[in-house]
Amino acid sequence: MSLVADTSVPASQPTWAGQLAESLRRFFLHRRWITFIVIGVVWQVTAMTANIGLFPTPITVIATSWQYVITGLFFSELGISMLRIILGFSAALLIGLIVGILMGSRRFWDEFFQDFVILGLSLPGLIYALLCVMVFGIGLTAPVMAIILATYPFVAVNIREGVKAIDKELLDMSRVYTVDRWRLVRQLILPSLLPFILAAIRVGFTVAWKVSVLTEVFGGDSGIGYQIRVDFASFKMRGVLGWGILFGMVMLAIEYGLLVPAEQHFARWRAKVKEVI
Amino acid sequence: MEATAISVRNLVKTYGDPGRELLVLDRISFDVATSSLVTIVGPSGSGKSTLLNVLAGLEPYKSGNVEIYSSAGGSKLGYVFQSSRLLPWLSIEDNLMFVRPQHVDKARHKERTQRYLKMVGLKNVGQKYPHQLSGGMQQRVGIARSLCVEPAVLLMDEPFSHLDELTAEQMRAELLQIWQATQRTIIFITHDLQEAVQLGDRLIMLDYQGHIFEDIKIDLPRPREFTDRAFVDFYADVVRRFHQMQAKRAEELTDSET
Repeated sequence: MSLVADTSVPASQPTWAGQLAESLRRFFLHRRWITFIVIGVVWQVTAMTANIGLFPTPITVIATSWQYVITGLFFSELGISMLRIILGFSAALLIGLIVGILMGSRRFWDEFFQDFVILGLSLPGLIYALLCVMVFGIGLTAPVMAIILATYPFVAVNIREGVKAIDKELLDMSRVYTVDRWRLVRQLILPSLLPFILAAIRVGFTVAWKVSVLTEVFGGDSGIGYQIRVDFASFKMRGVLGWGILFGMVMLAIEYGLLVPAEQHFARWRAKVKEVI
Repeated sequence: MEATAISVRNLVKTYGDPGRELLVLDRISFDVATSSLVTIVGPSGSGKSTLLNVLAGLEPYKSGNVEIYSSAGGSKLGYVFQSSRLLPWLSIEDNLMFVRPQHVDKARHKERTQRYLKMVGLKNVGQKYPHQLSGGMQQRVGIARSLCVEPAVLLMDEPFSHLDELTAEQMRAELLQIWQATQRTIIFITHDLQEAVQLGDRLIMLDYQGHIFEDIKIDLPRPREFTDRAFVDFYADVVRRFHQMQAKRAEELTDSET
C-alpha cells in the first residue's frame, strides 16, 4: 500500500561549485551592465566637454586602476588591508554573535546592551577611526579595534532578531523528545540563525571595509586607505577614483563569489521546495 | 489488575501572577492503564491542551503529582502536535533521527525510523523535505516520529484537526491499526466529540472550570460507524452529557451576572 503520490527525489544535489558558477553567470548576464555603460558614457562625455582640468574621464580612471593592478601595488595593499579587515571582522562577528544571542534570549541582556548597540549603530565610522588612531597610533591595533567597535553592533542586532525568530514550537518539540543540547544547537538553532548570520556578515563586512579604509587614511602607513591619502595629497583625482573602483570590484567579488553562493548553498532545501512548486 | 502507564493526582495548574491567578486545571486525578487509548474532550478554554503540556513537562504546574511509568530502555513520551512541527531544513529521515534518544544507538534508531515510516504508509519519502509532502503526510511523519522513540505514553494534541475530513477519517482508521499493532498507551486530545467516541476506549470530558465532568468507559466494537445502532446511541448519549455541561455553564454565568 502506498499513500504517496510522488516519490521521485530531485536528481541533482546542487554543489558549492555549481552555486558559484550559477552566481557568476547571473552576475555577468544581467541588465546592471546597461546601467554601468550609461553611467560610463555620461561621465566620459561630461568630463570631455566640461573641461574641468582635474576631473578625469572614466577611461583615465580605469587605466589608473589597471596600472595599480599590473604593478602589483593593488594586491600588496589589498593584502595588508584585508588582513586587518579579516582580523577585526572575525572578532566583531564573534562578539556580535555572543551579544546578539544574549540579547535575543534574555530580557536582562537585551536591556543591558540595547543602548550601547543603538549608539554603536548610529555613531559615524569616522569617530571610531579617529579615536582608535589617537589611542593606538599607527599599526595593526588601531584599524582592528575600529573595525570591531563599528561592526559588532550590526552583527548583534541581526543575530538578536534571528534568536527571537527561532520557532518556539520546534524548541518545545525538542524538549518533549529530550534532544541533547549539541544536536539542538547543530540541527535546530544554527540552521534557524543561518539567514540572519549571512545578513550580519553582509552588512558587517561592508562596514568593516569602510572603517578600515578610514583608519588607514588618518593613521596608516600602508593599506588601500593609505594609498588613497597619498593620491589625495597630490590631488590625483584619477588615483582616488581608481582606488574607489578597485574597492567596489572587491566588494562585488565577495558578494557574488562568496556570499550569494553561500546563501544558496545553505538554503538548498528551499530551492528544492521551489522545484516542486 | 491492569498496569498503569500514567498517574495524575490532584493536579492544579494556574496561569498568571500569584494573587491574580486564573485556575485552569482544578484538582484533576486520573490513571491511564497501559495500552489503552484515552480521549480527552472539552470545549475550547477547558484546559485540555494545557493538561497535555503539563503531562509532557512543557509547562510547570502548581501542585499535585504526575507520574509516567516507562519500561526499561524505552522513552517516556512521544508527542504528536496539531501541526507536524518538522524541521524544514532536514529530510524526513533526518527529522526522525533528530529525536533519537541518547540510550539508543544510531543503527537501531534508523531501523526503527524505517519500520515506523513504513507503518504510517510512507516508505519512500526518507530523502524528501517536509514541504514536499502534503499536510496529511506531514502528520503521518509526526506520528512515525513519536512512535520511533518507542514511548511509554503517546500524547496526541488534536493531530487531525488541520486536515480535511476525508484525510482525517482515513488517519483515524490508520491510528487505530497502529495502536492495535504497537499496543502503545495513547492520550488523545480533541474538541470533536465524534472523533473522541470513535477512537477511545475511554473518554474523559473536561468542563469549563478545569474539572473532570465525565469519565466514560467506551466498550463498543470497532470499527465504529454511524450504521451501527449501538455506536449512534452511545454517541448521542455523550452529546447529551456535553450539552448538560454547557447548560450548567450557562446557568452559572447568568447566576453570576444577577
